[in-house]
Amino acid sequence: MDRALKLRLEARFGGVLRGPVRQRQDQTEIRIAPRDVTDVLRALHDEPPFSFPVLADLAGVDTGDTLQVVYHLWSGTTSDWLRVIAEGLPREDPRVPSATFLWKGAEWMERETYDMFGIVFEGNRDLRRIYMPADYTSFPLRKDFYLADDAARSPGAGVRHMERSHAPNDAVAGTVRRTGAA
Amino acid sequence: MTTTLPPGTHVSGDDPNVLIDDDYASYEPIPPYPPRTEREAEFYTLGDGEMYLNMGPQHPSTHGVLRVVLKLEGERVVDIDPVLGYLHRGVEKLCENADYHQTISQVDPLEYVSSLFMEWGPVMAYEKLLDIQVPRRAEYIRVLSGELNRIASHALFMGWFALDLGGLTPILWSFIERDEIVEMLAALTGQRMLFNYFRIGGVNGDLNHEFLSRLGDWMSRAVGQIDANTKLLNENEIFVRRASGLGVIDTDMALKLCMTGPNLRATGLPYDIRRAHPYSVYPELDFEVPTRSEGDSLARYLLRMEEVKQSLRIIDQCLHQMPDGPIMAKLPRLLRPRPGRAWAALEGPRGLYGAYAISDGTDQPFRLKIHDPSFIHLQAVGALLPGHLLADTMAIMASLDPIMGGVDK
Repeated sequence: MDRALKLRLEARFGGVLRGPVRQRQDQTEIRIAPRDVTDVLRALHDEPPFSFPVLADLAGVDTGDTLQVVYHLWSGTTSDWLRVIAEGLPREDPRVPSATFLWKGAEWMERETYDMFGIVFEGNRDLRRIYMPADYTSFPLRKDFYLADDAARSPGAGVRHMERSHAPNDAVAGTVRRTGAA
Repeated sequence: MTTTLPPGTHVSGDDPNVLIDDDYASYEPIPPYPPRTEREAEFYTLGDGEMYLNMGPQHPSTHGVLRVVLKLEGERVVDIDPVLGYLHRGVEKLCENADYHQTISQVDPLEYVSSLFMEWGPVMAYEKLLDIQVPRRAEYIRVLSGELNRIASHALFMGWFALDLGGLTPILWSFIERDEIVEMLAALTGQRMLFNYFRIGGVNGDLNHEFLSRLGDWMSRAVGQIDANTKLLNENEIFVRRASGLGVIDTDMALKLCMTGPNLRATGLPYDIRRAHPYSVYPELDFEVPTRSEGDSLARYLLRMEEVKQSLRIIDQCLHQMPDGPIMAKLPRLLRPRPGRAWAALEGPRGLYGAYAISDGTDQPFRLKIHDPSFIHLQAVGALLPGHLLADTMAIMASLDPIMGGVDK
């Protein structure tokens, strides 16, 4: 845990942070609103006390009610990984500024996140589906997208098959119709 | 829809703006729908004297199932549009619906050349979620088997790279090395390729006699063999002149493209997660992070061969420093980490492998994001390729060493 980084972050971004700077093990986490992503990422990338040159990862998260975009950054100025969470994206129209103005390599990561969560990255020149076919209309990694197979129900459905010796409460009565099997 | 549809097409059941081809015409490079983005419109508009060439999805040198649409002017590549998804299995969704132990075998086939590194990321992230201290012997075994896997992966890279430049012999030679290591790891883990060996809190089995005797046998002649293999290419004038100056990239651009691993270090930046953000027992081990300044395909190749030598050093130290003790932390069978988030990153043979796990307090990960360097490096091909000859396409792609299993999660 890098306490100095926490102080630097609080001093620089005090106004835009949502909630406290959280630290656990080798990770420091800040939460911001989607509209502040451009400013915060630019400051983290450019300003000498931070100067994060490496975007290690960009991930989408569906919390169940809202969507989030999570950035992981690395810098030689700190011993921690920095996690920036842009939180509170509405499910109906999730929009967040693109990070491609700093890291061109974020383009495909944003395409993947768009493909899986439907999050629109404003400013990405190539925001089309990357894995799923062009005529696909769902967003598979959202929590309201269930797997068809009963043995692999989403945690949202409350099924914990390892804890139960027999059928879960909400299992379909009768035989389970499997498609595709002979 | 009106009757003006081209023959052999119908409207997609999902999106009425997309036409589906029934004929072999679906292998036309131009997609059967209007461009969706600025970039797609730009790519699918032909300039003067330009043409499209469709490569794949089963081109023999695409290192997996990948389709690439090339825009050519004569024999020069103007632009490139990789089309992914032919290997997409939805592993992240499957992991959300499996319990913590099961996800290890789910992520294995993502990186089918060096599976151990793909297992390592999620396992490390779960250990952070659970606040587990992994026994030192287990960490040493992980490093030992991981470095062996790194050598196996780089050996395969050497063969593939030469194959894509038109040389057949090196892949036969490099498979000698790879096969010995793979058999060794099979003795340790029970599997040749998809090991499923790391466990949350340790590893699945202790070092055994067959593994150690194979390893000792191989270590006694590894340096000589690897030198002989690399001599085949390093002193080959055709290879060296062909690979140098091919796909040059500088450090700034590589960082902008989010590149990591050997491809970034070949531009001169000694960024290695094992040193930049130490994990496991790497701080106790003595090794160097080789760099090169040229940033071309030859530098990427030579750098990987340097890394093989460093891996041999690490294996040697692991065998000498291996402590006694348990190989698994004491854990309940059913894992329910407290709600929280954890990110773990490690240095694999292709760059930064990462896992971002979120727990909601149940026995299944709420979200598991896998970061694979192959995905990033395949994207970089688009930045490196324009201006090169058609025949260099596969050489540049091979020099970045993407694995399609990791690209299409």
